[in-house]
Amino acid sequence: MFFHSVLSPQSSVLLLIPATMLPLAAFLVTFIFTRRHPRLCAGLSIGSIAVSLVCSCALMALNFKMTGPIQYSVGLLASSGLDIPFGFLVDRLNLLMIVVVSAVSFLVQVYSLGYMAGDPGFSRYYSFMSFFAWAMINLTLSPTILQLYIFWELVGLSSYLLIGFWYEKFSATQAGKKAFVMTRAGDVAFFIGFLLLFLHTGNLSIVDLNGRAVSAALPPSVLTLSALLIFGGIVGKSAQFPLLTWLPDAMEGPTPVSALLHSATMVAAGVYLFARLFPFFSMSPTAMEVFLAIGTISMLLASTMAIVSRDIKKVWAFSTISQLGFMIMALGSGGYFAGVFHLTTHAGFKSLLFLCSGVFIHRYGTNDVYELGRLGSRRMIVPTVSIIVGAAALSGFPPFSGYFSKEAIMASLAALPNPAWLAAGLAGVFLTAYYSFRLIFILLLPHPARSLGEFGPPQEAAGNPAAGPAAHESHYRVMAWPLIILSAVTVVLGFFGDRLKAFLDAGITVGGTAGGEHFALPSWVPLGLAGAGLVLAWLEFGRRGAKQIGFVERIPPLFRLFAERWYIDRFYGLLVNLVVDRGISYLCYQNDNKVIDASIDELCEGTVEGGRIVAFLQSGMIQYRLLVIFAVMVLLSIYFFFQVI
Amino acid sequence: MIVPFGHVLLVAGIIFALGVFCAVVRRNLIMIVLGIEIMLNAVSIAFVAAALRWNNLEGQTFVLFILAVAATEVSVGLAIIVYAFRRTDSFDPSRFNLLR
Repeated sequence: MFFHSVLSPQSSVLLLIPATMLPLAAFLVTFIFTRRHPRLCAGLSIGSIAVSLVCSCALMALNFKMTGPIQYSVGLLASSGLDIPFGFLVDRLNLLMIVVVSAVSFLVQVYSLGYMAGDPGFSRYYSFMSFFAWAMINLTLSPTILQLYIFWELVGLSSYLLIGFWYEKFSATQAGKKAFVMTRAGDVAFFIGFLLLFLHTGNLSIVDLNGRAVSAALPPSVLTLSALLIFGGIVGKSAQFPLLTWLPDAMEGPTPVSALLHSATMVAAGVYLFARLFPFFSMSPTAMEVFLAIGTISMLLASTMAIVSRDIKKVWAFSTISQLGFMIMALGSGGYFAGVFHLTTHAGFKSLLFLCSGVFIHRYGTNDVYELGRLGSRRMIVPTVSIIVGAAALSGFPPFSGYFSKEAIMASLAALPNPAWLAAGLAGVFLTAYYSFRLIFILLLPHPARSLGEFGPPQEAAGNPAAGPAAHESHYRVMAWPLIILSAVTVVLGFFGDRLKAFLDAGITVGGTAGGEHFALPSWVPLGLAGAGLVLAWLEFGRRGAKQIGFVERIPPLFRLFAERWYIDRFYGLLVNLVVDRGISYLCYQNDNKVIDASIDELCEGTVEGGRIVAFLQSGMIQYRLLVIFAVMVLLSIYFFFQVI
Repeated sequence: MIVPFGHVLLVAGIIFALGVFCAVVRRNLIMIVLGIEIMLNAVSIAFVAAALRWNNLEGQTFVLFILAVAATEVSVGLAIIVYAFRRTDSFDPSRFNLLR
């Protein structure tokens, strides 16, 4: 009874305000005032995100049976003919997202107490974490595309700040810059897309765009074009093909940052946008086909890159790209629930995987899997068990959450008329299991002769420079709790799938999968492929006599292709060098020197020379002046006396 | 008039031009004064011819004035030249270019 009486729009606002604004307050206070007190900063930051988490859960509980989206407007951007409200939108998808975002942020911030302990930038780290939490939560609650775009950019900014957190390291700053510029390139497309929409409809409200009324009035070409352009932003933010090279480099940041931003939340913002505008995108089948294609390509490419990587964080980074590709494939094929469910479960197990890797990196100071295996990482129990749980969830083994979400994705892919997508999806499942368990076996069952780099020197540690084997035991206790919680969630979350489906599908007007299924995929097919991947990994890496050489490494050209990330980086480097450095920059430089500077210079030189020429009249010789007087007199006399002119 | 008025004016004009030439081209201060004198004399010729043409003696009177003025001006000019020579030991007008 009490619940129902409290269930009113006002109470939701009361919960929304602290949930969204407290992290901002924490950021401002920690950034400006309390820099000298690291523990206070951490406390404020964790406190604010805890409050956000509580408020998000309360909102979810209160609005569990909401019938339609609730919108609050707290301000208006008004100009002649332009009316864009600023405020909050609360509906089922949002509620799920804010719970996920605040929960993962909270766990990662608690984890960072241990991981980042002793770092000189501890306060700065927590203030940036709060800033990110604020931006992300507000992104998910935005009612209009414009507000979402603003927070999208802010999330990109916090990503830049956190990737380049150890700024004395040149590679970290380069990585931050690369991430920001690449996502910015996608954002330009996004901006043009929604600008196009705005020009045609004058309305940027998400609820209105999803509703048929506004968007049905658009001509289909404009609809498709704007959908494709908005998807450009998603490609940038979620690191899909062709803008996927920033994410592996983003692993230069601290591991908790990778766990939070580059696996669970920020890169998920792209997929969230897709889900958010799902009814709008569904109105354009061509666009959905394109999205499906891009998701598939990214998924396959990234899986191949993960197969050959030596760096533990990079494997998970490629895996993230691949899983995001899966989510986009799911959404692109019309499986709304499948995509969103996979987003939720992925947030859980990917952050778990990153946090476990973080514990290993913190302890042993290296990122290289072979090194970590050799140094005896399997002696640490909680991370070992958690990483196995995470990898199993990633590969899609029951009873972990990944199995249920992968099954949902495969079902929605099977509903498509063209079986090639399903085949690609299944190939992806096989590769995912293969690379995850390759990593597990190298880590936990090390082969002594393989650790000293046959394929190059071990990777340099991108870990916390202040840590090392002498780090305190208390760090590990603090770091263990989030791992345990996330593992528990990973195990349990899958079984909530049906209730979640009911919850989400009630909030979406457009039907999910396209009509009837062309054939019902038996659930043992993806499971069998995952098992096959596991078995192959076992044969190559896990067995007693295994040489720990993958099948790809036996084909050097293929190995080089995958290890060089399909030369996409090289291509971009070339493009930047040719078009930007030697093209545009050169032209601008020449323009600056030869046109702008030179015109002023020539003007001055000309004036000086002209002056020098005319100066002969002012040479001080009175005779010239006399001559001029006589000449003028003669001319005047001719004029007056002979009336010539 | 025995000599047509136009011819006398032409002669006066030529002499005036010669005076201008002397004042402008010569690189000697005294020659500048000389040129001025020649110009003044040319003007005097023109005035006398005009007096004869219009049968008015005022033209010749003016010539007397011109002669007086010329004398005065020469004395002042020579005084300046003497001073200038004492300053710069030269008669060359291009030396006197401080007012450039």
